[in-house]
Amino acid sequence: MSDRSSLDWAAEPDSPVPPPTWGRRAPEAQVLPWVFAALVGFLVLGNVLLAPYLTAPALRTWSTIFVAICVQALPFLVFGVALSAAITAFVPASVWNRLLPAKPYAAVPVAGAAGMVLPGCECASVPVASGLMSRGVAPSAALTFLLASPAINPVVLVATAVAFPGEPLMVVARFAASLVVAVLAGWAWQAFGRREWLRVPPRHVPPGQSRHAAFVSAMRHDLLHAGGFLVVGGLAAATLSVVVPRSWLSAVAGVPWLSVLVLALLAVVLSICSEADAFVAASLTAFSPTAKLAFLVVGPMVDLKLIALQAGTFGRAFALRFVPLTFTLAVAVSALVGWALL
Amino acid sequence: MNRMAQSLVLTLLGGALLRISALSTTYLNYVKPGFRPLLIAAGLVVFLLGVMGLVQEWRRPFVPDRRPPEHGPWADGRAPDAGAREASEDGRDTARENSPDDGHAGHAGHRHGPRVAWLLCLPVMAIFLITPPALGSFAAGRDETPQPRPTVLDGYGALAGDRVTVMPLGEFIGRAWGDTNRSLTGKPVRLAGFVARSKKRGQWYLTRMQLRCCAADAFPLRVAVVGVAPPPDDTWVEVTGTWVATPYDKLPKGTVAPEMKATGLTRVDQPAEPYE
Repeated sequence: MSDRSSLDWAAEPDSPVPPPTWGRRAPEAQVLPWVFAALVGFLVLGNVLLAPYLTAPALRTWSTIFVAICVQALPFLVFGVALSAAITAFVPASVWNRLLPAKPYAAVPVAGAAGMVLPGCECASVPVASGLMSRGVAPSAALTFLLASPAINPVVLVATAVAFPGEPLMVVARFAASLVVAVLAGWAWQAFGRREWLRVPPRHVPPGQSRHAAFVSAMRHDLLHAGGFLVVGGLAAATLSVVVPRSWLSAVAGVPWLSVLVLALLAVVLSICSEADAFVAASLTAFSPTAKLAFLVVGPMVDLKLIALQAGTFGRAFALRFVPLTFTLAVAVSALVGWALL
Repeated sequence: MNRMAQSLVLTLLGGALLRISALSTTYLNYVKPGFRPLLIAAGLVVFLLGVMGLVQEWRRPFVPDRRPPEHGPWADGRAPDAGAREASEDGRDTARENSPDDGHAGHAGHRHGPRVAWLLCLPVMAIFLITPPALGSFAAGRDETPQPRPTVLDGYGALAGDRVTVMPLGEFIGRAWGDTNRSLTGKPVRLAGFVARSKKRGQWYLTRMQLRCCAADAFPLRVAVVGVAPPPDDTWVEVTGTWVATPYDKLPKGTVAPEMKATGLTRVDQPAEPYE
């Protein structure tokens, strides 16, 4: 049905005047019900006709993990996008100037500590950080907030305490290491980062548009944009998790320095939500506590879906520099903290 | 991606979320039960955003567009069910969009949304076309890492000796590994799970996946069953039997699944909540 509609248009693609049969509605609106009916019909028919044949175990396992990553992350993404849109639409820029110290080097640790108040996972923090930047918060401070908030918020710390019963030092180590990495990364960006690497989404309430309309349109745009990149990350994570056998892990568990690196890489690949990764870390019994700490510190800061989100939101030039920086810092700091505390 | 396509993608995504969370219990295949309110709320928000956009688009009066068409007005709006084909082109598009000198907001104004959003059709299509089931023996077989050994807990109560006790697999494993009172000894129990093959001859695994947050972090709980022939893989069964006491203390941490000598086996339907 949609094909026919598009053919109608293709008959006279450059005509400034729509055919008279089109009435007064916009051209898109003309075909809207048809496109919608075609889509729903395709999905319903496919559900009945195709689903019984798409049963290869590997495909089904892959699709379950892929859908699970998307479904699990979407509520947090919607929450983060709503918060970010609210920041841009309703909170005046002056609020941030009052709350944060004017000097970026001083603002970075404050922003890191502020990460404690946003109870979400990493998908929520990317749009919020982008909203903060577009409201004039120094990029280094917003980035520190982005790194700190998924790792040190109360929900995550409680989950860590539950996952490691009788090991309160693990919670302390996670908190300390994550905060230190976030602040160091913020300072490093402040010292060496260049303006042109970072694409700050320019957002302001356009004149003539109500705050409410600005909120809705910012939310729409961010949701589509960040959601698309979330899917990229989900595709990569599901594929790697089906293709790479877990037995490779146990082979390296014995080598101390290698095990830290391997669990850090595993955290990147698995892209587990920061509120659940402590349980996964606790189940990796063959590894040293320091390696588990590296898993907990790296996971909320660098993982496949987060890399895709960051590249999409702040630009590839940014992700190319920021991701290796954070990863190196996270591994080094968790090795140090693990050696000192655990 | 024009506004209609954006709204359609959002409507479909929100609809799919509501379909698996509010209208059925399919979401239990992917996440923990506690996620339901979050999923319904997120689904409603996304769905409403999409429907609002569609309504706006429907009401918008026709305004002749004098801009030179960079691509035909239907370049983006053509049958959005071609999402997969679009997706393959998207890598290039987003690469271009991401280069720092290209202000992506420039052409992304209000009529044109980000092209990467087409990818949001993929989870929708996966949900409707593949209808991903709960993880089964394929996923369980991939994870050969030893199960974590539960910490020793003496909080387990005594079991009745004269009747069959129904318990989750996790509790059975906990009692087998971590109970100094050895409360399982000689007591008949009934466990439910799906069938998965074992490499060892003469036994098979009664398996259930355990979730922490979503199916991406699932790992298998296994009990080795001896004494009855296994039904085909992925069949859901209830097995009645008794624990075969093994000196686990002499083994390294959690390297084997506890064994069970089965006396009875019945096929059951997959439970609504397939994970433990």
